[in-house]
Amino acid sequence: MNGKTRTIRVDTLARVEGEGAILIKLQGDRVTDVKLRIYEPPRFFEAFLRGRHYTEIADITARICGICPIAYQMSSIHAIERALGVQIDPAVRMLRRLFYCGEWIESHALHVYMLHAPDFLGYPDALEMAKDHRQIVEQALRLKKIGNRIVRVIGGREIHPISATVGGFSKVSTKRQLRELEDDLQWALDASIATVKLVAGFEFPDFEQDYEFVALSHPDEYPFNEGRLISNHGMNIDAVEYEDHFFEQHVKHSNSLHSVHRGHGSYLVGPLARFNLNFDKLPAPARQIAQEVGLVPPVKNPFRSIIVRAVELVFACAEALRIVREYAPPAHPQVPVEPRDGVGQAITEAPRGILYHRYAVDRNGLIVSAKIVPPTSQNQKRIEDDLREFAAQVSAWPLEEATWKCEQAVRNYDPCISCATHFLRVTIERT
Amino acid sequence: MRTRIIGCGTEDRGDDAAGLRVAQRLRALGIDALDHPGDGLSLMETWQGADDVILIDAVITGGPPGEINSWNGHHADVVADQHRASSHAFGVAEAIKLARILHRLPPRLTLYGIEAAHFALGSAPSPEVDAAAERLARQLAAAEGA
Repeated sequence: MNGKTRTIRVDTLARVEGEGAILIKLQGDRVTDVKLRIYEPPRFFEAFLRGRHYTEIADITARICGICPIAYQMSSIHAIERALGVQIDPAVRMLRRLFYCGEWIESHALHVYMLHAPDFLGYPDALEMAKDHRQIVEQALRLKKIGNRIVRVIGGREIHPISATVGGFSKVSTKRQLRELEDDLQWALDASIATVKLVAGFEFPDFEQDYEFVALSHPDEYPFNEGRLISNHGMNIDAVEYEDHFFEQHVKHSNSLHSVHRGHGSYLVGPLARFNLNFDKLPAPARQIAQEVGLVPPVKNPFRSIIVRAVELVFACAEALRIVREYAPPAHPQVPVEPRDGVGQAITEAPRGILYHRYAVDRNGLIVSAKIVPPTSQNQKRIEDDLREFAAQVSAWPLEEATWKCEQAVRNYDPCISCATHFLRVTIERT
Repeated sequence: MRTRIIGCGTEDRGDDAAGLRVAQRLRALGIDALDHPGDGLSLMETWQGADDVILIDAVITGGPPGEINSWNGHHADVVADQHRASSHAFGVAEAIKLARILHRLPPRLTLYGIEAAHFALGSAPSPEVDAAAERLARQLAAAEGA
């Protein structure tokens, strides 16, 4: 094997949202090149937001992603609210958290069960898995449906929801509408706890990395849409400072920009980062089940992200339950908003990690400039770093098996390539 | 028997909008028809409770653009499109296969495929596909008694 050149190549990555490819070149056990190529065409959202009125932003940004439209709406709405100095009603804030719970439940249930579990149970896809594990798939579908239901109740519809606006909601749920979610959510909470136990029993490759974890942090809450941006390397900043610390670079092989932490390099956003930096903020049921299965921070094995996602499912269900029980409709569902010149930045926690938006608005309320940094752009460099280390570890394996494992290493991140382009194939070349 | 007609597809991706065009024409003719973006998992929800489902989508079988074919959804060998115009991890083909495994297919499922050829971003369906959508809508409307 020494000195032999091999190529691990996956031309169309399966079980990811969007279109991408991986190419890994190996010389013996030395990795000479790694490229995560995102070839879904860029979508120019930032350009066509310019000149639009701020009231249109939530509807436009919701279309960036079919899986996480809430995250796009929330980051954009928060950024505009900061630019215009808008203070929302506390009950609106609560509803927005519930909205976010719905999206996390949908997205995490889909990834944990349908996209990631087949890797650990040894199936090429969820369809093959369903033949032997029908109950697992039924559970996933029911969980996802509950997430969808929350989004529909709050957002007016499941795909590209419409009711979230700058200043609040154009239509808010009644106490009764939310109460009607309670039985479903109680089932979902129990199912999520069972999910943690199930996935914690999977076998994980022995692979740990010294990551810089980056996530929001709030004094009292597991983060969704508010908090300071912190890292385990000592960073603690407001969203306003984000661009002083992070920059994007174009790489020739990808239609997605690579985000880099200035002076630090690649970093990791998403479930592992949130869990490691905010473990003490998890509600009791989530923290207890994590401890019960031996999942305590810092979790540095990216393959174990499936357990963390399951713990976050528990969190999202518990939080949603709390909200539907405590909710009283807002006195001011939609506070009045006065346009003015301003710039606003906001970061929220999409299921895959932090999502940064910045808008400059003029006095007529028109968008002068927009910047959007999706989670997958932020993780892309880190995914390549993982592949570089992991491919060396599996370099002696039969090519087919090594290729499959490298695909898994990408799926650890639940990449949403459609969002990041701004598509996935894996190639390992051995020379 | 309750028939539910579902047109699948995506606008602005050329011929991929074929199913949506049929649903739009049917509605214009006074027949209920649903649009669906083709996300497989929610597709199963969309046909839940219906006894008779008609699903219309763009297909690639190698025939001439605009050719209309139909299959029995319980037996057809559907394969996921290689050309992923959709970015969904689960598409229509996966929904049908998964529903078979989970016994969630409607009692009757008829698939209508309009042969597609062009999927360029930002483009409208080709004249052949538009004409086929019109033909199929009229045929389905006639069968529904409109």
